Amino acid sequence: MTEHVVRVLLSGVFHASILFLVSAGLQVVFGVQKIFNLACGSFYALGAYVGVWAVQMYAAAGGPPAFFIVPLVLGGLLVGLVGVVVERGLLRFVYDRDETFQLLLTFALVLMLEDAIRLTWGTSPLSTGGMYLVYGQAHILGAAVPVYNLVVIAAGLAIAVGIGALLTRTAFGRIVRAAADQREMTEALGVDMRRLYALVFTLGTVLGTLGGALVIPATAAMSEMGIELIVEAFAVVVIGGLGSMRGALVGALVVGVLRSIAISVYPELEMLLIYLIVIAVLVLRPRGLFGAAATAT
Amino acid sequence: MIGRLGLVAAGAAVVAAPFAASTYHVLLMLPFMAYGVVLLGLNLLFGYTGLVSFGHALFIGIGAYTGAFLTSTFGVRSLEAIVVTAAGLGAVVAAPVAALCVRYVKIYFGMLTLAFGMVFYTFVLKFYRLTGGDEGLPYLRPSLLGFGLEGMSKTDYLTGPYYYYSLIVLAVAAVVMWRIVHSPFGLCLKTIRDNPAKAETLGIGVGRYRWYAFVISAVYASVGGALLGAPIGNVDPTLAYWTHSGNIVFMTLLGGFASFFGPILGAFVYIYLEDFLKSLAPSSWRLIFGALLAAVVILAPGGLMGLVRAARRGASPRPHDPARA
Amino acid sequence: MRSRRDFLKGVGATAVAAATAGPAVVSAQARKGVPSDPVKIGVIAIRAGIAAPVGAAGLRGTEWWAERVNSAGGILGRKVQLVVEEESNPKDTVERYRKLVLQEKVDVVLGGISTGVTLALATVAEDLATPWLSWDGTTQKGVDETMPNPKWAFKSVDNEVEAIVAGMLTPKYFKGIKTVAGIGNDYSYGHDCWQSYQAVLKRYIPDVKFVLELFPKLGVTDFTSHIAAIQQSKADLLMCSFWSGDATIIMKQAAAVGLFKTMKGVFTTAGGVHDSLKKDFTPEGLLLGYNTMYFDDPKGSPLLKQFVREYKAKYNEYPPYECDHAYFNAESYKAAVEKAYASAQEWPSKAQVVKALEGIEVESLSGRRSWREDHVQMCNFYQGITTHKNAYDFVTINPIETVSTRQAMKPAGAKLFDWINSWKL
Repeated sequence: MTEHVVRVLLSGVFHASILFLVSAGLQVVFGVQKIFNLACGSFYALGAYVGVWAVQMYAAAGGPPAFFIVPLVLGGLLVGLVGVVVERGLLRFVYDRDETFQLLLTFALVLMLEDAIRLTWGTSPLSTGGMYLVYGQAHILGAAVPVYNLVVIAAGLAIAVGIGALLTRTAFGRIVRAAADQREMTEALGVDMRRLYALVFTLGTVLGTLGGALVIPATAAMSEMGIELIVEAFAVVVIGGLGSMRGALVGALVVGVLRSIAISVYPELEMLLIYLIVIAVLVLRPRGLFGAAATAT
Repeated sequence: MIGRLGLVAAGAAVVAAPFAASTYHVLLMLPFMAYGVVLLGLNLLFGYTGLVSFGHALFIGIGAYTGAFLTSTFGVRSLEAIVVTAAGLGAVVAAPVAALCVRYVKIYFGMLTLAFGMVFYTFVLKFYRLTGGDEGLPYLRPSLLGFGLEGMSKTDYLTGPYYYYSLIVLAVAAVVMWRIVHSPFGLCLKTIRDNPAKAETLGIGVGRYRWYAFVISAVYASVGGALLGAPIGNVDPTLAYWTHSGNIVFMTLLGGFASFFGPILGAFVYIYLEDFLKSLAPSSWRLIFGALLAAVVILAPGGLMGLVRAARRGASPRPHDPARA
Repeated sequence: MRSRRDFLKGVGATAVAAATAGPAVVSAQARKGVPSDPVKIGVIAIRAGIAAPVGAAGLRGTEWWAERVNSAGGILGRKVQLVVEEESNPKDTVERYRKLVLQEKVDVVLGGISTGVTLALATVAEDLATPWLSWDGTTQKGVDETMPNPKWAFKSVDNEVEAIVAGMLTPKYFKGIKTVAGIGNDYSYGHDCWQSYQAVLKRYIPDVKFVLELFPKLGVTDFTSHIAAIQQSKADLLMCSFWSGDATIIMKQAAAVGLFKTMKGVFTTAGGVHDSLKKDFTPEGLLLGYNTMYFDDPKGSPLLKQFVREYKAKYNEYPPYECDHAYFNAESYKAAVEKAYASAQEWPSKAQVVKALEGIEVESLSGRRSWREDHVQMCNFYQGITTHKNAYDFVTINPIETVSTRQAMKPAGAKLFDWINSWKL
């Protein structure tokens, strides 16, 4: 029995880590720039495809399997720099526009990235094969748990802690938080908003691509995965509160663990449960658990 | 205002199309007319009230499924009954959804509507015993004004009687919407869009008016959905997916949300451009469309009608540009 | 009486005309009553989303067929021209289908994979009076309700057949099964397969218990929670009907916890992604289904071997079963045209082609396949036990079971579960 509880909890936390990694980038960007990036799922997908590519090249070059995570993470980080191109090339033109135009621009990004990914990598599912099993299993209270899952969980936690530290303990973080709360004032105080926005958006993209790369050994990269993921990310940020990293973490845990429990106890309910919670949150406490009050009127 | 002449010419072309254009292009006019109805409603919310819904495909789905249920489950074939029921159901569902959503604006409104759209999608997909799930539900050929027209082939029916029926529905919908936006109600909506605080001080119940706008737009979307479903013959959950909602906002923006006829123009251009691109660039048409949307958002937020106006006025800035925050 | 000079002039004129007329008159390929322009064949293929690889395989199979046919001179001397449109959601696909028939004026449409789309296309195909040969996508409902007596539409094999075959083979290869868990995608195919599998298994093992059924939606990439539930159920056997990337994912995630060390596995359709089922994480001893084409069939024809070789050289992948459906559809169309021509002595009308298609049998990639009189595909299904003893880095099957649709598909007009329950065992 304990082993089952361990399995359910750990698989829930694993799923939560995935959700957190998809939504972290979304939260960072929304928190500062008030842009809801519909393309966050697409960046995640981009990271996944590049991650597979990087590992395949590494394996073909004869790299020892134990270190496959190095090219994986590097690939995920590097491709995130495409965020700079997107921000400078597209997004900055709409900062002074209504938020909904910014949303539509990210929708345009979704469309473009879908075809771009498909044209580059084709439609067959891509995976890193058996690399997932390289680190073996851990035995926790009688349950065999893939060590790679623990790596993903640890990475999610590390990123959460890291972003938290970045935001609270560094000068950059202070500026970011100030810009989130008081944009004009921060600008008046001489902060180069252009540079800040570029940095923040790129940070958001890198979080997405890194997340995609980290998770891909456990899964596979498939066509249109970005479009599906945005729906899950959405549930997480609604529950956790838009713009809040803590909210993303808690929201992801809520969704991940409840889903895992539902699958074992009442599988029929699986996807519906998430939506029911989303609606309940939207009705009762629209700003989510940690979000700022949503503007009314 | 597109010139009276332009409007008359366009109208004449649409009326004459079944006699002059190829069968396929006439058939393409059917989703155009259905989307035209949907977008008239969507733009009441977008252009006139300043709220962008990312979940209106929900109501398209309601309209389409109404037609499917009535024709295949209940044996009711009358398109009049379908349209009226769809409108009613759209209003009934919109009432609580709107009550919730209109408390919030901008991004939150968009997110809430997206959420509701996806909830509907998930329900329809999940409860397959009731709705057919991914297989969908057949939407059998509706009878028009009591005439079953079973003797005609489906294609002849669609390019003939059904075409003109849809056109009349679109025309009526347009006339009604014209009245609405030019009424005091419409004026209140525009005031709310431009300056909600001022509207409140003037005694306009902002929430209430937004609610009315939402419900009316939902009714229009449902009617459009009912018209959209019949030519397909089988209605399925993808009609309610969030990207479908995104596409209709795209159409509105493309045509020009600040104009009455803009969205209808947007629907026309979108449909024919999509058809053209799918044949020309089958592997990359989404890329091109995405780039087009980006270009419109960045360079021409007023859409095609905005460009036409700018060309007429010699590029002097418009006094009220809802595109700017 | 015309003078001899006029007569000679006439003969001369005819000779000159014959000598200067186009190749259609002079070439050896030209036949009486056959137009010289290419025959347009419409193809509907999925390009995006989870079924994109299946659509790609079907398109590749059709393109390979077309190249082969064209290099041999075409159909009755007419070159084949493929006009490809995208299969996406039902609404858009219906529009593209109409474009193919009304605007492009194709003679036949090939393709169609997802159930929702094929159900929508069925009535349109009938209305547009053009033969439509579907690759895949038929499930219970399609057969019973929407296409009761199709005139122009030709349906794929009933898709539950692979679950039925798996159900027949399970008691043969796995003894002592008392409890079974099932996982499938949350849509018609997943549900239909599970129900058919259950019905068949119950005939062979009357007191078998079905202890768990899970239906994650299409597109899910994390099954760790599902696997936890499956482990908890302590079932003797897991039946899985995944056919795309999710089959690879669940295999990987199951291997990471050693699920199949204590549980038997039946993968009815994972042959669709067979070359991604690497030996690293796919154990031996699972029952694996390849639908209608097994690329490494030792009894495979030279045609199959050539196809596999060239496919691998061009795409660096090994072909899945959709290639066979696509090839069969195209080849049967060609054979039907040739058969109808033989009696009509001119390029057959669409109605004549349809008539010729009924009951026709051709050599496809996987062997002989045919169209049943009621417009349903007839073929063989290949399933077997996974083995690592091969030259690839992924699993293959040995032994290989070949079950014909004559055994595993319900006869025309029968109701599926009544038919299963009527079997004499």
